[in-house]
Amino acid sequence: MSSHLSEEQYQSGVKAVWRATAILSVVTVVEVAVALILGPHLPKLIMNTFYVLASLAKAFFIVGEFMHLKYEKRAFMLSLGVPLVFLIWAIIAFATEGHYWNILNHPK
Amino acid sequence: MSEVLEIQDEHHVDLLPTPDNGEGGEKTAMNISYGKTMMWYFLLSDAFTFSAFLIAYAATRLAQAWWPNPNLVFKSFPGLGHTNAPLAFVSVMTFILILSSVAVVRAVQEGHRMNQKGVMLWMIGGIVGGAMFLGCQAWEWTHLIGEGLRPFYNPFGPDANGITHLVEEHMAVSPGPIAFGALFFGITGFHGFHVFTGVCINIWAFIATANGTFQRRGHYEMIEKVGLYWHFVDLVWVFVFLAFYLM
Repeated sequence: MSSHLSEEQYQSGVKAVWRATAILSVVTVVEVAVALILGPHLPKLIMNTFYVLASLAKAFFIVGEFMHLKYEKRAFMLSLGVPLVFLIWAIIAFATEGHYWNILNHPK
Repeated sequence: MSEVLEIQDEHHVDLLPTPDNGEGGEKTAMNISYGKTMMWYFLLSDAFTFSAFLIAYAATRLAQAWWPNPNLVFKSFPGLGHTNAPLAFVSVMTFILILSSVAVVRAVQEGHRMNQKGVMLWMIGGIVGGAMFLGCQAWEWTHLIGEGLRPFYNPFGPDANGITHLVEEHMAVSPGPIAFGALFFGITGFHGFHVFTGVCINIWAFIATANGTFQRRGHYEMIEKVGLYWHFVDLVWVFVFLAFYLM
């Protein structure tokens, strides 16, 4: 009834996890290093784009490897991923609105 | 008849025909057990809750003419006094949470091998990591409250050049945007509450493992479900870290 793994599957699973750990740690260290070294010199837009992309990369590793979603059925992945598409709308709509409040409240 | 009795324990009575409660690792739609499916959909709803908070934070922040520089707000490290170490302490916290998550993944893997001792060992790692993270957060909150940050008061304001300073008597610095404190305590607090409940659930799972509940049941699916929640806490921290400390 339970899914007993062969020794080989187990070893490759353990390897995949430590690989994901190393990647997550390196991405975090790079993020912080970039923030401290390049942060004061580069435009905010470039820095923020970099942070968002690095965070999304981390999120994919956590969800895919740690939460094992990479190994589930495609239909299941889509049932979780597709609803999140609404967030793209929400982020754009509320960011635009927030920026508009800023213009209203602090006219140049 | 004897075969039926053999696979019974206090949690798993196989007298009823399928569908069962999913605890038996029964495969359902999309080849994933009922219990794991429901944990995933709960986490999806929780993801929307956190997204709503973080989007509210983004909208509020974009509506301000000025916002405190995180490198100048979060620059303290325990035991170093008045130090200037931006991002150092929060990086340590992030690393602790990642390692704690890894420990629970290892516990799940040992569960697949029916290795009770292995599951217990790695679950302790996960619990200790979670408790350490909570300790770090408690220190950080205490420190910021000590500097005067409150849900409705923000002592981190701009000087004439827009540089972030802590409001002090002899300095011509006015308080910063009020929403900063409420958003910081609200969102990191809601995340911290998830960490706290996660640690409690992990402790329960550790005790059940030690009692041999899952060994008797014949599978460690409960560790997988508990693990999903715990990794989600790590996942949310990625975005809290992004929103409050990096951007």
